[in-house]
Amino acid sequence: MENLVMPSDRIAEERVEQPTEVPSNDEAAPASTFQVKNMSIWYGEKRAIQDVTLDIASNSVTAIIGPSGCGKSTFLRALNRMHELTPKTRMEGTVLLNGEDLYSSTVDPTVVRRRVGMVFQKSNPFPTMTIGENVIIGLRLNGVHDQKFLNERLEKSLRMAALWDEVKDDLHKPGTSLSGGQQQRLCIARTLAVEPEVVLMDEPCSALDPIATAKIEELINELKATYTIVTVTHNMQQAGRISDYTAFFYLGRLIEFGPTTTIFTNPKERQTEDYITGRFG
Amino acid sequence: MHFETAHNHTWRKFKSALACTIAFVSAILVILPLGLVFFYLLVNGIGSVNWDFFTKLPAPVGAVGGGMANAIVGTLVLLAIAGVIGIPVGVLGGVYLAEYGSARINSVLRFLADVLNGVPSITWGVVVYGLIVLRFKSFSALAGGLALGLIMIPLILRTTEEVILLVPNGYREASLALGVSRWQTIVHIVMKTASRGIITGILLALARVGGETAPLLFTAFGNRFWNHSLTEPIAALPLQVFTYAISPYDDWHRQAWAGALVLVTGVFCVNLLVRILTRGRGASPL
Amino acid sequence: MIPKHILGTFDEALTALRKDLLMMAGLAERSLDRAIKGLLQRNDDLCATAIADDEEIDQLEKQIDKDGFEILLRFQPVASDLRRVISAIKLSPNIERVGDQATNIAKRARKLNRHPPLPEMELIVPIQAYAMTMFKDAINSYVRENVELAHSVCGRDKQLDDMNREANKKLTERMMQDSDQLRGYFNLLLVSRALERVGDHATNIAEDAVYTAAAEDIRHKGAAVPA
Repeated sequence: MENLVMPSDRIAEERVEQPTEVPSNDEAAPASTFQVKNMSIWYGEKRAIQDVTLDIASNSVTAIIGPSGCGKSTFLRALNRMHELTPKTRMEGTVLLNGEDLYSSTVDPTVVRRRVGMVFQKSNPFPTMTIGENVIIGLRLNGVHDQKFLNERLEKSLRMAALWDEVKDDLHKPGTSLSGGQQQRLCIARTLAVEPEVVLMDEPCSALDPIATAKIEELINELKATYTIVTVTHNMQQAGRISDYTAFFYLGRLIEFGPTTTIFTNPKERQTEDYITGRFG
Repeated sequence: MHFETAHNHTWRKFKSALACTIAFVSAILVILPLGLVFFYLLVNGIGSVNWDFFTKLPAPVGAVGGGMANAIVGTLVLLAIAGVIGIPVGVLGGVYLAEYGSARINSVLRFLADVLNGVPSITWGVVVYGLIVLRFKSFSALAGGLALGLIMIPLILRTTEEVILLVPNGYREASLALGVSRWQTIVHIVMKTASRGIITGILLALARVGGETAPLLFTAFGNRFWNHSLTEPIAALPLQVFTYAISPYDDWHRQAWAGALVLVTGVFCVNLLVRILTRGRGASPL
Repeated sequence: MIPKHILGTFDEALTALRKDLLMMAGLAERSLDRAIKGLLQRNDDLCATAIADDEEIDQLEKQIDKDGFEILLRFQPVASDLRRVISAIKLSPNIERVGDQATNIAKRARKLNRHPPLPEMELIVPIQAYAMTMFKDAINSYVRENVELAHSVCGRDKQLDDMNREANKKLTERMMQDSDQLRGYFNLLLVSRALERVGDHATNIAEDAVYTAAAEDIRHKGAAVPA
C-alpha cells in the first residue's frame, strides 16, 4: 500500500514561471546605451559587418558570440571607433551613444574612446610603468595633474577593479610584475580610471586560468551596476554565466539577439542552435 | 614502426659531432681577428698611453713626446655636432617609418636608407666638401660633424624603426582606447617602451662614426693645435692616427698605436654600455 | 534531420541516453500491459512478471540520471541538447512510477484472482484502455517531438479523472451494499486509482515533450491566468 498516497508530481512542482519575453525595439524596452542602426563595415574590399541593427541595454552585460572571423571583434571595436586604426576601413550606418552620433563628422575619435573604454584579450599593462602609473596614465595624458585627485582616482579605480587589497602596498612595483589575472584587472582599473560610460571587453579571460577568470567574471557582474558592458567571448559557458543579453554573429551578420537565457535554451534560428550546441560543420 | 638500427644511430651521432665541430671552429675564426687586433694594439700602443697623451698637444716634428689631447676633444666635439644633426632626424624619421606613412612610401624610404647605409663613408666627405667646404672656403668642425651626422641618420633611422615596430600593438591600442591622442601615445607609450632600443641604436651609431676617418679628410681636415671655433678645422682621433701612421717618424708611429688603442677602447666601452642597457628587460620607474 | 555534433562522443552520449529512455518506456508499457492482462484474464503468471520487471525499470531510472548528469558535466549542453537531457532526467521518474503503478495493479490483481470474479471488473476496462493510450501517446509525443499529440494527451487527463471518480463512486456504493466483497471492491478501487495515476504521469511526460520540442513550459497555466 506504500504507493497509495503518492503525491502527484504535477501538484508537487511549484516552480515560479519564467518569463520568456523577447526584447522588443519599442518604447517599453529598457534604456539603451548604444543604438546601432544598419551598420556595415568594410576592410578594403572585404565586408566584415553586414547591416547590423542592435540596441544595447544600459547597465547590463551583452555578450557577443560567434565563430572566429564572424565580425564580432570588428563590431565591438566599431563601438569606440578602434576599428579605424586598421587602414582602409569604411563604415556605413549609425551608432548612437546615449543618443549622440559617434560617427558624426564633428566628433573626435579620442573623445569617443574616453567615453567608451576597452579591455583587450591580452593583458597589456604598460611595461615601463609602475602599477600606480598604469592606472592614472590615461588621466595624466589627458591633462590631469592634480596629484590629490589622481591619488583618489587611483584608489577608487583599483577598488572597483577588486585589486586594491592585493596591490595597495606595491603601487610602485612594475605593472608587469603582477600575475596574469591581476594584470587584466589592472587593465580594467586603468580603463575605469578615465570614467567611461561603457566598458568594451574583447575576450578578457581567454588567456586566464579558471580562478582568475572567475574573479574577472565576478568583477564584470559588479561593474554592471555602474557601467554598460559589452564583451566578446569564445566561451559559451562564460557568455551564459555573465551576460544578460547575447548576440550571435555569423559571417558578418547579426543572426540572433535576445536575453541570454532564451538564446541558450531556445534559440529561434537554426544557425544559432547549431553553433551553440556544437554542430557547426 | 621500428626503432633505428644501431648502425644508423652511430652514423647520425658522428654527423652531429662533425657539424658541431665545424660550427665551433667558425666561431673561433670570427673572434680571432678581434683578439689579434686588440692584442697587437695593446702591445704596440700601451707604452705611449700616458698622462701626456691625454693632456698635451702633439709635439712639433722631430721633438719627442707630446699627446693627442686636441684630437680626443676634437672627436668628442665632432660627435656632439653629428649627434645634434643625426639623432633628431634619425629618430623622428624612424618614428615616421614605423608609425605613419603609407606602405609604399615606407618601402621606398626604407630602401633608400639601406642604400645610404651602404654608401662608402668617403662619399659623405666628398659631398660635404662640395656643399660646405667649397662654399665657405674653409675646412671646419661643422663640416666634419655634418658629414658624420649624415652617416648616422640612416643608421639611427633603421634601428629606431625596428625597435618601435617591436613594441607590441597592444600598448598602442590600450593607450588609444584610454582616449589618449595619437602623438601622445607615440611619445609617452611607444617611444618610452622602445627607449632602450632607441638609445642603443644611437650609441652604436656614435661608436660607428667615432672611428670614421675618410669623411673627415675633406671636412674637419685635422688640426695640430686647439680648435677655437667650429668654423675652423678641428683635430680628430682617427684622423690623427691616420696622419701619424703614414708619417716616417718612429715616435709618431708609437703615438698612432696609442691613438688607435684609445679609439678601440672607447668603441669597446660604448658597446659594453649598450650590452648593459639592453640586458635588463622590464619596467623602470618614471 | 539534425546535423551531428562536431564532437562525436557528445552524439554518442546523447544517443545512449535516448536509447535507455526508450528501453525504459518500453519496459514500463509492457509491465502495465501485463499487469492489466493479469487482472482481466485472471493470470497470476503475467502479474508475477510485471512485478519482477519493475527492478529493471528502477535500474534504468538510475542509469538515465547517471548518463544525464555525466552529459551535463562533460559537455555542458545548451539549447535543444540541454532540453533533451533535462527532460530525460525529468521523464525517467515518471516512467519509473508508471512501472510502480503496474506493480501495484499486478499485486491487486493477484489478490483479486484468489476470489471469484467480480462483475464490477467491467468498470476498469474503459479506464485501463484510456490510461494505456495516454501513456503510449505521451511517450510517442516525446520520441517524435510531436507537440500536437502531447497537447492532446494533456487534454485527456481530466476525462480520465472523471472516469476514475465515477468508478470510485460506484465501487464505494457496492462496498456499502455488499460488505462480504469489501476487500475485492477495495482492490478494484485501488486499481482504478493506479490507472488514474498513470494518466497523471502520462500528462507529466507530455508536458516535458512540449518543453523538449518547443521550449515552452505548459505546466500550471491556470495559476498565471485566473479564469
